[in-house]
Amino acid sequence: MAPPPAPPQKSPSPSQPSGKSEVSDLKLQLRQLAGSRAPGADDSKRDLFKRVISYMTVGIDVSAAFSEMVMCSATSDIVLKKMCYLYVGNYARCHPDLALLTINFLQKDCHDEDPMIRGLALRSLCSLRVPNLVEYLVAPLGAGLKDGSSYVRMVAAVGVLKLYHISAATCLDSDFPAVLKSLMLTDPDAQVVANCLFVLQEIWNLEANKSEEASRERETLLSKKIVYYILNRIKEFNEWAQCLVLELVAKYIPSDTDDIFDIMNLLEDRLQHANGAVVLATIKVFLHLTMSMTDVHQQVYERIKAPLLTLVGSGSSEQSYAVLSHLHLLVMRAPMLFSSDYKHFYCQFSDPSYVKKLKLEMLTAIANESNTYEIVTELCEYAGNVDVPIARESIRAVGKIALQQYDVNAIVDRLLQFLEMEKDYVTAETLVLVKDLLRKYPQWSHDCIAVVGNISSKNVQEPKAKAALIWMLGEYSQDMPDAPYILESLIENWDEENAAEVRLHLLTAAMKCFFKRPPETQKALGAALAAGLADSHQDVHDRALFYYRLLQYDVSVAERVVNPPKQAVSVFADTQSSEIKDRIFDEFNSLSVVYQKPSYMFTDKEHREPFEFSEEIGNLSLGQEPVGNSPRYDESDKDLLLSTSEREENGGPSTNGPAASGYSAPTDYNSSLVSLSSQTQSETAISDPGMPKYTSQMTLAIDDLLGLSVSAAPAPPSLKLNPKAALDPGTFQRKWGQLAVSISQDCSVSPQGIAALTTPQALIRHMQASSIQCIASGGQSPNFKFFFFAQKLDGPPLFFLVECIVNTSSAKAQVKIKADDATASEAFFGLFQSALSKFGVL
Amino acid sequence: MPVAASAIYFLNLRGDVLINRLYRDDVGGNMVDAFRMHIMQTKELGTCPVRQIGGCSFLYMRISNVYIVIVVSKNANVACAFKFVVEAVALFKSYFGGAFDEDAIRNNFVLIYELLDEIMDFGYPQNLAPEILKLYITQEGVRSPFSSKPSDKPVPNATLQVTGAVGWRREGLLYKKNEVFLDIVESVNLLMSSKGSVLRCDVTGKILMKCFLSGMPDLKLGLNDKIGLENESQLKSRPIKSGKTIELDDVTFHQCVNLTRFNSEKTVSFVPPDGEFELMKYRITEGVNLPFRVLPTIKELGRTRMEVNVKVKSVFGAKMFALGVVVKVPVPKQTAKTSFQVTSGRAKYNASIDCLVWKIRKFPGQTESTMSAEVELISTMAEKKSWTRPPIQMEFQVPMFTASGLRVRFLKVWEKSGYNTVEWVRYITKAGSYEIRC
Repeated sequence: MAPPPAPPQKSPSPSQPSGKSEVSDLKLQLRQLAGSRAPGADDSKRDLFKRVISYMTVGIDVSAAFSEMVMCSATSDIVLKKMCYLYVGNYARCHPDLALLTINFLQKDCHDEDPMIRGLALRSLCSLRVPNLVEYLVAPLGAGLKDGSSYVRMVAAVGVLKLYHISAATCLDSDFPAVLKSLMLTDPDAQVVANCLFVLQEIWNLEANKSEEASRERETLLSKKIVYYILNRIKEFNEWAQCLVLELVAKYIPSDTDDIFDIMNLLEDRLQHANGAVVLATIKVFLHLTMSMTDVHQQVYERIKAPLLTLVGSGSSEQSYAVLSHLHLLVMRAPMLFSSDYKHFYCQFSDPSYVKKLKLEMLTAIANESNTYEIVTELCEYAGNVDVPIARESIRAVGKIALQQYDVNAIVDRLLQFLEMEKDYVTAETLVLVKDLLRKYPQWSHDCIAVVGNISSKNVQEPKAKAALIWMLGEYSQDMPDAPYILESLIENWDEENAAEVRLHLLTAAMKCFFKRPPETQKALGAALAAGLADSHQDVHDRALFYYRLLQYDVSVAERVVNPPKQAVSVFADTQSSEIKDRIFDEFNSLSVVYQKPSYMFTDKEHREPFEFSEEIGNLSLGQEPVGNSPRYDESDKDLLLSTSEREENGGPSTNGPAASGYSAPTDYNSSLVSLSSQTQSETAISDPGMPKYTSQMTLAIDDLLGLSVSAAPAPPSLKLNPKAALDPGTFQRKWGQLAVSISQDCSVSPQGIAALTTPQALIRHMQASSIQCIASGGQSPNFKFFFFAQKLDGPPLFFLVECIVNTSSAKAQVKIKADDATASEAFFGLFQSALSKFGVL
Repeated sequence: MPVAASAIYFLNLRGDVLINRLYRDDVGGNMVDAFRMHIMQTKELGTCPVRQIGGCSFLYMRISNVYIVIVVSKNANVACAFKFVVEAVALFKSYFGGAFDEDAIRNNFVLIYELLDEIMDFGYPQNLAPEILKLYITQEGVRSPFSSKPSDKPVPNATLQVTGAVGWRREGLLYKKNEVFLDIVESVNLLMSSKGSVLRCDVTGKILMKCFLSGMPDLKLGLNDKIGLENESQLKSRPIKSGKTIELDDVTFHQCVNLTRFNSEKTVSFVPPDGEFELMKYRITEGVNLPFRVLPTIKELGRTRMEVNVKVKSVFGAKMFALGVVVKVPVPKQTAKTSFQVTSGRAKYNASIDCLVWKIRKFPGQTESTMSAEVELISTMAEKKSWTRPPIQMEFQVPMFTASGLRVRFLKVWEKSGYNTVEWVRYITKAGSYEIRC
């Protein structure tokens, strides 16, 4: 056997001219052999065919030899035939006229006395994929389905599906689905039955949207009669077909509990099958059948634990990744049930990082009172891991556990020990965590501050860590004797600080420090404001200007704005809605679980792109925002922090360069700016109702600075909304990603409204009455989140998009509005607010 | 939908296409370029075996020096796809006789195309059982079991077998000497903390069989596991000293095992396939006998010197011995010089893996052995960064020992012609991932 020639180039493309002379050479040799009946002819033909196929594989276009290949195909050598079929199948589509040449010999082969040849010929015939040759397919397929050999029937069944994909009409007109159905219920051979089953499933799934009959047929496939018939034969099927059958059963809706238990008893032993795919498919059936019975569902979890854990440990790391993703899903749904199995999720040194990452997340989820100590001890081991991303991840995991638990005593000690490890990335991650911890547990500030105070700011280089350190310096400046001086030295090096995020924090921290220890900080603050005003970054410049004017106006107001008393954050919000989680669970045993998003998000074209945006939206607005009514200023601050840090995770630690900070501008820019301006407006409005002029001037000034004379434009006198507005979720997401926030404001909800808001639906119905439609909602008391939209009644179709987070405990709603036409958003906000205020009152 | 693969590619490490089989039209021919561009030539490689590019998902696996990539355009069953790749590789190996690598693929690419045609049709997996496929896809390729020409070996009932209805065994097999070989192969996984406490420990075992039996024999296997003994009420009647019972956490069987009978009678009964196969797999977490104890002490003396002391104790029976014992002790990258003292075996420093490698060919039971080493380091500029110590790893094989304590109580062969069989049973315990933190 001659090895195929090495590919001529690294990435050959089909159209490139290389190999042209070889091809014509091949053509010549093939032609000479075509008619030859010499004894050695078959062997030399084989060598030639092999060369053709190997050229084809590396991407050289050998279609020029098509007619010669066809001429040589009259042979009794089965391997030659197969190579020829492969060649024909590959090139027929781009040479339909030549493909016609092959029809003849393929049809002849379909009547060969050897069933193997019949099957092969039929398979190749169906694989030609040339629309105008469809008419030649129908007769051989019909005969194939009735063939005496099960091999041919098996091939023919798949052939029907191939025909359907070439020409659905021909396939349905020839009544093949009906033939398949009867074959499925009567054929003695299991593989034929299995092939019929998946072919019918695929055809009816695709047809279901077009005709009612098809969707009825699809229902029939899930009828008790068919499901039981196939289930009773399940042991005859091979492992792959069993997966298929189990997939079908998972969709079956049982009539009563006896039905459920019958199926589960029948399938119990499948959990011991050697093929992991069968085991997973069985698990899916069990989970879905018992959805309605809580206690049995829980027993199912117990039962499937052992097989799942075995599967994780056996096979390649790719296989265990696939299983772990499913285990991850189950652990996230019911962490309690896995809390005693935590040792299974310990990382092995040799595990690839994608496996380690999942394991870390699971360890975080199942930590509770009984195992926290062990889990945190283990996680601390990983903090010194060679694999830096995993080390970071495990420090974050420790922090998450600390945020979940009440008994954080020991954990805080551990975190503080991390700071003593003196590794840059460990220190960086830990600082960010300590900051989050302090926001939730202010009572720990004393211990933490003592340690944090010892860290030299020179050892902290990563922007988000530096920002966290500066935040702490500002927040706890009264407890840290050196705070003003550290800040001062940082401000002195203002020009060397590349990340705008850090500079922004430096400004705020200097302000906070100033309010607490004025004489010591005054000089530093002056330097900071001066440096800020001269800064080329727009956000930094604006913040410095804002602070400057605020101080000029009234120092006590400034203190109320910049450093109001804070409430501890009680819960950091979850990023994924329960609706999405349920959808993923419905699609158990598929890619959805691995990607952790429902299939429509990665298969439908219109969803794929916006999804990227929606992720960003999540990070920007709801990421891990404090849900309590913590001061607004801090929030916009946090937004900035989060959005940059998230991006850094995706793009690697490259945010240091000036290019990166430039990149961060467009996204953060609008949201932070708008929230800043709206903030001034509302804060001053509350504190001093007699001074509205000043406020609007101020906002105007800021707006002017940026050339956004948005709010200056007179709002249209009245705005009417289209009561029948329609917008599909895909478009909504895309728009949400594209548009900038035009209004971001808080408004209060009446106590009656809060009382009426037991479920999101109540508010949704109410808003509908005001022509404001809801597109998505979620959350549980006390936090509800809604996405609304509305359309302007006349003129071009202009949409308003609203994100509204209602907190029932504080009776406040945070409203963010994005609009196609930003000038009308003010008017729309008025409408929205009045509609919201009427909620529950009527 | 289990897989519905749109295409399968085999690529070498440089990204050259070795095999390219398109099953469906819904992916373009440039998909392989997308894989090369976005996965192979980026840092993404190896970060996740499932990736989405454009509208397609790529599920890939590296096997020796080959990447196998499955492309799907819709949602798909991941576990099934990976299992399919693993099984397909096993199938190819059984055809090539051993290695599966770039050279083997280049030498057998016609055969691989033939097989890819049979094992998957329009993206759906078909039959992958080597016993069946070998009936009609032969390496010579000229013979077909259906050919009307008279052939030397008539294969009875081949049609049925081609589609896998009987699956694992042909009728009419005949051996002069009827023999059964049964191997219990266990691998011990251990994760021990630096303080010597066991963090995690389990045993994954498999029972491998080789059967050379005539006709259609019925086999029955009895083990000393708890499930197996419960129903036979032997648990009580057996004298206590005759051995312990083992609790298997989870068991999976080859498809030939009659699972209904396992559940009702608690014995493993089966009609074996001809030749070699894996009868069952199991996992045990409780009551594992660790064959080796490792006691490391590593001292860093200043910045340029390290003292490594490792004591290994064998805790299995004195009459047994372990083979091929290797202890790998990681040392920092800047290691300059090493000197060793060992009580048995040989030790040396392997710079390519940054480890002290200590090998002992034969390690008798109930003994201990120590290695003490001095390591000198080059002092480097980056002195502040302390060294993170990876765990010590150990390899070994202990014949006639099972870490789980599992034993075969009986293996009965019954065939209607009533011939005599010779049964051979072996045990071996290997190190899986045996890690000791230090």
